[in-house]
Amino acid sequence: MKKIKLYHYLTGFFIISITTFALSVEPEEFMKDPKKELRAREISKNIRCVVCQNQSIDDSSAQLAKDLRLLIRQKIREASTDKQIYTFLTERYGDFILLNPPLKTSTIFLWLFPFGLFIIGFFIILKHHKKSKIN
Amino acid sequence: MNKKIFLIPAILFFLLIGVFFYLLLIDRDPSELPSVLINKEAPQFKAESLFDEKIIISNTEFGEEIVLINFFATWCLPCREEHPFIKKLSNEPGIKLIGINYKDKKNIAKKWLNEMGNPYSKVGVDRNGRIAIDWGLYGIPETYVVDKKGIVQYKYIGPITKKTYKKFYSQIKKLKNEKN
Repeated sequence: MKKIKLYHYLTGFFIISITTFALSVEPEEFMKDPKKELRAREISKNIRCVVCQNQSIDDSSAQLAKDLRLLIRQKIREASTDKQIYTFLTERYGDFILLNPPLKTSTIFLWLFPFGLFIIGFFIILKHHKKSKIN
Repeated sequence: MNKKIFLIPAILFFLLIGVFFYLLLIDRDPSELPSVLINKEAPQFKAESLFDEKIIISNTEFGEEIVLINFFATWCLPCREEHPFIKKLSNEPGIKLIGINYKDKKNIAKKWLNEMGNPYSKVGVDRNGRIAIDWGLYGIPETYVVDKKGIVQYKYIGPITKKTYKKFYSQIKKLKNEKN
């Protein structure tokens, strides 16, 4: 394996990057208007697949994910706004269906806690560092 | 600054471990997932009736007795397994059972119900799964309990089993005895 040439690396890289294009969205779902299709994809990426839970419906191959993808496309065709589509889904599935939980009073702790911890940790380390310098 | 301050993350960590173990060890019911529909008016729907040409309009079904909306399909094995318990529920007084045949074929569904027995007073057809989406369905089988005022009170996810029937029915009984 001495002569691993540049093109070996490039081929490997190319293959790996191709696999990230593996879609769960099937050709028959695509909208004719590419701008609308892009909008559908963007919205789908924000919607959690409640069956698989850690994937978006854009990534998931679950049947419900497909149904929701089709529903989003239908709503786009019916001239719904993004906000209307998100509202439609959260009315039925709750905020849980959004991959980005909204910033509400109930979720503010969820959003700020990691930052809070980080800041506390930062100051602890800073103080400790100062102390050890004095020593 | 005291070295003891480093105890704080250790304590937090063990507290967290404690919480996780507690949640793992207590008896949590996976069929009791929260639903955003609870305490809200039941979603309206219009569905073609499976056995005849009529249209089922949800508004006319609610408001008199407790209604159970049971989403099922012939291709769903847990639905088949839960069927005897759905039949048992249909024999209890004061409960109306409405079946929603989810993403199925009409003639196969009719045959299935004729063979296994039809516990439903009405069966609606949800060909493309849109009615299910309106109810926030995750997958079948799922059963929704709607009280006499047409308010969704309970969402039961998964098949009703011998183990869970009693508890589920006692929830329904509570509703029956409540407001009139």
